[in-house]
Amino acid sequence: MKKWSKAMALLLVMCLLIAGCGTEKQAEQPAEPTEAPQLSEELQGELDAFSSEVIDADLTCTITLGNWPPDTAAASELALFEGYKATMAKQYPNVTLVPDYYSYSLSNYVPMAKGGTAPSIFQPPFTDPQLLISQHLVGDVTDALAACGALDKFSPSYVEMLADQNGRIYGLPRDGYVLGMHINIELFREAGLMTEEGLPKYPTTLQELAEYGQIIREKTGKAGLVFPASETYGGWLFTNIAWNFGCVGENALEYQDADGRWVCNFTSPQAIAAMEYIRDLKWKYDILNADATTTDWAGAHSALGTGEAAMNFAADDSVDQPTANKGLPLEDFALIPFPAGPEGRYALAGGTCYMFSPDITPEQATALMAYLKILGKLPFLDEDIIAGMRADYAAKKDRGAPVLPAISAWNDEEYNNTKQAIIQEYCNVDMRLYNDFFDSVSEGTITLKAEEPVFAQQLYRELTAVIQRVITREGADITKAMTQAQESFQEYLDDEINS
Amino acid sequence: MKKRSHSLAAGARRSESFKSWLIMLPGLILMTFFVWEPLLESVRMSLYKTENIELVKFIGLKNFISVMGKANFTQALVNTFAYTFWSLLIGFVLPIALAMLIGETVRGKGLFRTAAYLPNMLPGLAVIILWSAFFSGEKSGVLNILLGKLGIPTQTYLTRSNLVIPIIISIATWKGAGATALIYMAAMASVNPELYEAAAIDGASVWQRVIHILLPSIKKLAGTLLILQIISVFQIMYEPMVLTKGGPDNASLSLMQLMWQYAFGGSMDYGKASAVAVIVTVILLGMTAVYSYFNNKESDWD
Repeated sequence: MKKWSKAMALLLVMCLLIAGCGTEKQAEQPAEPTEAPQLSEELQGELDAFSSEVIDADLTCTITLGNWPPDTAAASELALFEGYKATMAKQYPNVTLVPDYYSYSLSNYVPMAKGGTAPSIFQPPFTDPQLLISQHLVGDVTDALAACGALDKFSPSYVEMLADQNGRIYGLPRDGYVLGMHINIELFREAGLMTEEGLPKYPTTLQELAEYGQIIREKTGKAGLVFPASETYGGWLFTNIAWNFGCVGENALEYQDADGRWVCNFTSPQAIAAMEYIRDLKWKYDILNADATTTDWAGAHSALGTGEAAMNFAADDSVDQPTANKGLPLEDFALIPFPAGPEGRYALAGGTCYMFSPDITPEQATALMAYLKILGKLPFLDEDIIAGMRADYAAKKDRGAPVLPAISAWNDEEYNNTKQAIIQEYCNVDMRLYNDFFDSVSEGTITLKAEEPVFAQQLYRELTAVIQRVITREGADITKAMTQAQESFQEYLDDEINS
Repeated sequence: MKKRSHSLAAGARRSESFKSWLIMLPGLILMTFFVWEPLLESVRMSLYKTENIELVKFIGLKNFISVMGKANFTQALVNTFAYTFWSLLIGFVLPIALAMLIGETVRGKGLFRTAAYLPNMLPGLAVIILWSAFFSGEKSGVLNILLGKLGIPTQTYLTRSNLVIPIIISIATWKGAGATALIYMAAMASVNPELYEAAAIDGASVWQRVIHILLPSIKKLAGTLLILQIISVFQIMYEPMVLTKGGPDNASLSLMQLMWQYAFGGSMDYGKASAVAVIVTVILLGMTAVYSYFNNKESDWD
């Protein structure tokens, strides 16, 4: 018995030692894939097209690359990033690349930035740059951007978003997105909501959305609309609905008064009407998913992809979520414009940018611009950038994600046209299921609007709480709930920005 | 001679004292760096306006006034006491009952003991995700499927304000009761069997033996575990955060979750987050003091 115990104890110690050693290595650097992934010839060809000439052998530094795909990602995506890494190693032999699985969120970034462990490059949404800049949590890359010539191609709105008061730049845009609606065509088919051409008869107004959702509920038993009403998501989507009910201009949810004081207004007739619309979706039309208050962004995509819901307010940058990630066939998926409301037709426009750790050195900044160039994310055109773009779209096609026209964040016509031509080449979907969405953006039939200007996340949190009350209590007093939320958020504004 | 022996004794005492301090040193260092310093830093931070984790300006009790004046604080405070209440109702007696039942089992005691402890070995988040599938309000929710077999229509659970806290506590109890039961079983095993035999000879029923022998024997332990349970439940965070995200309409928002929201929920207000943390600490210290007072008083009576 004693021998047995000793053997077990020894085994345990050995396991701990091995696990301990392994963990450290794993945390620093993702393991190399054990087997060569099976790639399409098309993607392999694009990966081989990168130039292998040395560009700068003197540039010496180490850069940590956030958003490196995890080992569980599709083989094509892993191969793509390994391809980028190999190209960088050939062109800049003394730059060491350290892949990092890090995925940005405000909550995890702050301790890392203060502790000096933030990756050299990461990808926050458009809502966060000003907060990060004002709190000195990101690095200045103005000189590196100027040196590579990208600074001149910034549109003024992006300069405003990514610069401090002195005009120093702390990031660059990655992609833009426009909020619309994802459709599960299979459920539309079951509900008989199809046109003669075999396309989904989709809602163009919020009223139609409620009515079609009701038909879907009755005919299929599934939710007409999945509405993620947890944390801040509900408030985020509500702002777009509220704009379409007229919460813009003098009725905006937040605005600056003549004295420069930030004021919020959740009790205008327009805002109340928008909240009553949400109430009706639940209690009059009964089209919402059952657990809306616990559903988040990923859960909403999952519900649409797995056929639990027919519609989801979502943007063009997340079309891979219900399809490639959740298995919805591409022929059963459509992207439509955000439905119009009684007072307007707005769609939220946002995006993702690249930003850099606060302690970034000039050498690291230069190396990161070179890396972004290989990724095809800088607004220039040369063989490597074109190869980077092609490899990116080939990888998307390879893993079954829709390859769609991009909403470019750059003001360079030649760059944007070349990009669109490459996208067209790799397009793997029936564009009739997407044309109305992209046409509404390019033809201006829908008005694009950025998120509410200050403390948007806090505003979303307040409004989400109201939505939760409204969809869980049939007789909830909407005006009272909106008044309470307004008072609470106004107090927050007064504390944070008006004092 | 006497003087010499006296100084020898003093030297020995000093040496003993030095050794004692040496033994305590690693613990003291750990406590200082990982417990006391962060605790004091948190108190300091709660008195300042902050810019992320930097202290910008001393503002006295302003953070406390601001935090306590908000409706979500009152809601979170009430909820946290509700968590504690439900935890005492569901989670305090169950491990004792479980320990008694397993203790009385004649065959397969090891199996039952392992089965009771097993949920404790599962990762906390996995447990929450598992139960979220059980309590899903969709038709595909496990509980709805089971109720559907009985002809009961689909229900929602996690979107009902009056149900969320009892559900969360039930899940936490499912996970933790087995471990607590093991501690009670150890205490129950140490009760002198002659007491039971004597009671049996005197004609005491099972219930009388439980009331008069078993429960008094574990009373002290139960008191300690009670206060530990209150401290633990008062800091409940990840269960509501993952299962309901504090909703619906803040119905399951706990104080610790509110603290998280201030720090990481978008505003990065570490000063106010620290104020909430200090309030939680003060409440827990108060509760512990009350418990200690009554415990000491009872010891005096004994």
